[in-house]
Amino acid sequence: MAPVSFNNIAKTFGSTEVIRGISFDIRDGEFMVLVGPSGCGKSTLLRMLAGLEEITAGTIAIDGRVVNQVDSKDRDIAMVFQSYALYPHMSVRDNMGFSLRLRRADRSEIDARVMRAARILNLEPYLDRYPRELSGGQRQRVAMGRAIVRDPKVFLFDEPLSNLDAKLRVQMRSEIKALHQRLKTTTVYVTHDQIEAMTMADRIVVMHDGAIEQIGTPLELYDRPDNLFVAQFIGSPAMNVVRGTLRRTGSAAHVETADGVRWPAGSGGGVDGQAVAYGVRPDHLELGGGGERTVPGEIVVVEPTGSETELVVRIGDAQMTVETHGRTTLQPGDKVGFAIDPANVHLFDQASGARLVS
Amino acid sequence: MSTVALPGVEAAASAGGPRRRLSPWQAWGLVLLAPYVAVFLVFVLYPVGYGLWLARHPQSYVQLFADPVFAGSVVNTLIFLIVGINLKMAVALFLSGFFVTARPWIRWLSVLFILPWAVPSIPTILSIRFMLNPEWGVVNQVIFRLTGADGPNWLNDRWIALSMAMLVHIWKSLPFWTMILIAGRLAIPGELYEAASVDGASVWQRFRFITWPSLSTLYLTSAILSMIWTLGDFNSVYLLTGGGPADLTHVLATLGIRYLRLDQVDLAMATIVSALPLVLPLVYFMMKRLSR
Amino acid sequence: MKRLLTEAKLVLIGIPVAIWTLLPIYHMFLFSISTKEEAFSGELWPAHPTLRNFGVVFREQNYFLNHFWRQFANSLLIAVAVGAITLVVAAGAAFSISRLRTRGGRLVLNCALFTYFIPAAFLAVPMYKAMGTYGLLNTQWALILAMVTIASPYAIWVLKQASDKLPWELDEAARIDGASPLQLFRLVYLPLIAPSLVAVGTYALLLAWNEYLYAFLLLSNDKDITLPVALGHFLSADDSPWELLMTTGLIYALPPAAIYYAFKRYMVAGLTAGAVKS
Repeated sequence: MAPVSFNNIAKTFGSTEVIRGISFDIRDGEFMVLVGPSGCGKSTLLRMLAGLEEITAGTIAIDGRVVNQVDSKDRDIAMVFQSYALYPHMSVRDNMGFSLRLRRADRSEIDARVMRAARILNLEPYLDRYPRELSGGQRQRVAMGRAIVRDPKVFLFDEPLSNLDAKLRVQMRSEIKALHQRLKTTTVYVTHDQIEAMTMADRIVVMHDGAIEQIGTPLELYDRPDNLFVAQFIGSPAMNVVRGTLRRTGSAAHVETADGVRWPAGSGGGVDGQAVAYGVRPDHLELGGGGERTVPGEIVVVEPTGSETELVVRIGDAQMTVETHGRTTLQPGDKVGFAIDPANVHLFDQASGARLVS
Repeated sequence: MSTVALPGVEAAASAGGPRRRLSPWQAWGLVLLAPYVAVFLVFVLYPVGYGLWLARHPQSYVQLFADPVFAGSVVNTLIFLIVGINLKMAVALFLSGFFVTARPWIRWLSVLFILPWAVPSIPTILSIRFMLNPEWGVVNQVIFRLTGADGPNWLNDRWIALSMAMLVHIWKSLPFWTMILIAGRLAIPGELYEAASVDGASVWQRFRFITWPSLSTLYLTSAILSMIWTLGDFNSVYLLTGGGPADLTHVLATLGIRYLRLDQVDLAMATIVSALPLVLPLVYFMMKRLSR
Repeated sequence: MKRLLTEAKLVLIGIPVAIWTLLPIYHMFLFSISTKEEAFSGELWPAHPTLRNFGVVFREQNYFLNHFWRQFANSLLIAVAVGAITLVVAAGAAFSISRLRTRGGRLVLNCALFTYFIPAAFLAVPMYKAMGTYGLLNTQWALILAMVTIASPYAIWVLKQASDKLPWELDEAARIDGASPLQLFRLVYLPLIAPSLVAVGTYALLLAWNEYLYAFLLLSNDKDITLPVALGHFLSADDSPWELLMTTGLIYALPPAAIYYAFKRYMVAGLTAGAVKS
């Protein structure tokens, strides 16, 4: 267990800059998720922390010690790979005990620690099998077991669930979270899947193009995205966004789009006439209602999922996703109004994408 | 995956340090590479350099070109390459089609068919040599029994002897090339043939439009590689004819060794150097193919 | 009817192929079980098959066979040494080039490939001179080292191809687990490319066992030479005991054929894949 800090980290491959001066701290025992689209540099960052990738500039410290010059094996970290990277020629037991064997630990100590990890992960029946004889989920567990056995200062996960099917992924998600709550080891977890990030993280680092867009708890990111990128990346279904002009008259405000729709906005930031991006989450568009805070819509598609119903609606020229609880009798073509509470509206500057605050 | 994984040593090396020292990964890389580098320097680079130095005098080439055996050897080598290899590769192409036919007995035959390649060449070449013995060899005895006439003196005529050497070479290396082409044929997806059959393609059309387009690159590469190896085939000629009669069946490979045995190293090296215009383009082609 | 015609065509190809393939080998076998007189009679099967020739060879009861066992042992020793040394040299180089990405590895690989493509009979001349310079002529080390030189380029190539297919994450996982380069080599790399090691080791072993030209150039003492050179010596006399030559040849040819068939699985996959990349 240890805090980790990144200080002005940069990475270039040849002339391509993949990480552009990143700084942040991970607290002792924290579950930190690095999330972002492909190519945003999150894996590179993790690999630099692991010592698998050279650091072009800046420093990384684990437990207060700068590790730039330290070999992977001396950083006291353990890593779970996307492909699991189990040694195909070793049994589960030998896979899990390999790091201790390399450290010349006692046979009895290796056995004890492998058993302990196997018990935690329910791997006891499989200890003498080979990786090829295991299912995907079991392999995933062995990879985690290999990390647990080490009892390292930091766990690193590199997209560990992307090779699993959807159902297993949900299950392993909660297992990893439960494991963290039990072991309380500092964890850095890389994923491109924002749902994984939201459900597992203590805090999330959203990355884009080699830079940090925002750091915060899952709900902070959801409720107050710092910019348009985070707003659209976090949340499923994604936030609806239209572009228009902010009209401010006294305390009332709305955003007017080219198609003539007037979108209710609150007392948030921004000045009259400013070009803005107007964002509202699918569950913040309320079916029915009328008056000032309502926009007129037409149902395009109805997608029932059981407990909820997702609607695709046309409002003005914009296509929006609306999430409603329960079921509906609406049919495509129905005209219906949607109420929007200005408190739930997110406004961003159109040019910079930055959140407008009052 | 979001990053270009640049695996390997660099990561272990220190970053930002003034002048990085060798990481253990790089150091071990050099240590493990060293034995082969030593082998290459001591047993390839130095000998070849030394050999070329020995062959530096124009006088050696004047002497070599004046030797009628050399001219004969060049002709023989070219015949060997042009006739021998084309014949061998064409037969290998044909037989690879035969051996991919699904029949149990053909599978067994293919196991036997590998034998010439799997056994050392010396005893089998000597066996063929005796078969061709004009008096006692089984070939002429059978000819005598069937026709009452004496068979030819197989190894005592330049052209017959050279043809026999070519046959020995083909006998020995045919299985290998057939295997390569079988592997090539097996890599062609079966659906292509099924589709062609549905479209009503004849046997020839299936070969022309499916097999050959998929196989032609492999065939060409095989032919080139086979040429390089055939240039170095010493055994087929030396053990069958010994270069005789009267040094008429030498090829460049045996001629070089002949000069070496006569202690005329400069001529031996000159022979090899004069083969380089033929060898180097082939080697260049192969290196290009394999480095892709 | 059409099926029958197809079968007939196949048989018509199969029979000549079988005869062509087996004739020289059958001829050798025939001599080995015949007396000299019967061997020279041109019959397809001896009237009185005998194993006497084998007894003569095994008891070294002929001028040409005075050192048969010694020469057999030489062949064996040299082949095993070449196989072992080639494995060490090639596995180290392939690991270094492919997994450690050693600087200059690409150049070394190209040098190796270049060596592989020099016709062996051409390299023999300068090699012979160099061995003289090194004072190794007429020692078995000369032959062993020469064969290692010839076998290792292809061995490195095949092993490198196999190495490149191993996932990178394994190396990275091992490094994080605390493996040193040598531990990675020994505990992870070698076990994983074991099938290719078998193919390459067998290749080098057979190459050395079968080699005639280099053995004939580099060794001369009757007690140092290998079996193929000894077979070549039979040709020096006009009235050689051909039945004994063929018997010895058969004995000499059996081990490589047996090894080949035993390791066929590895050999064919490894060698055809590496020999020609289409």
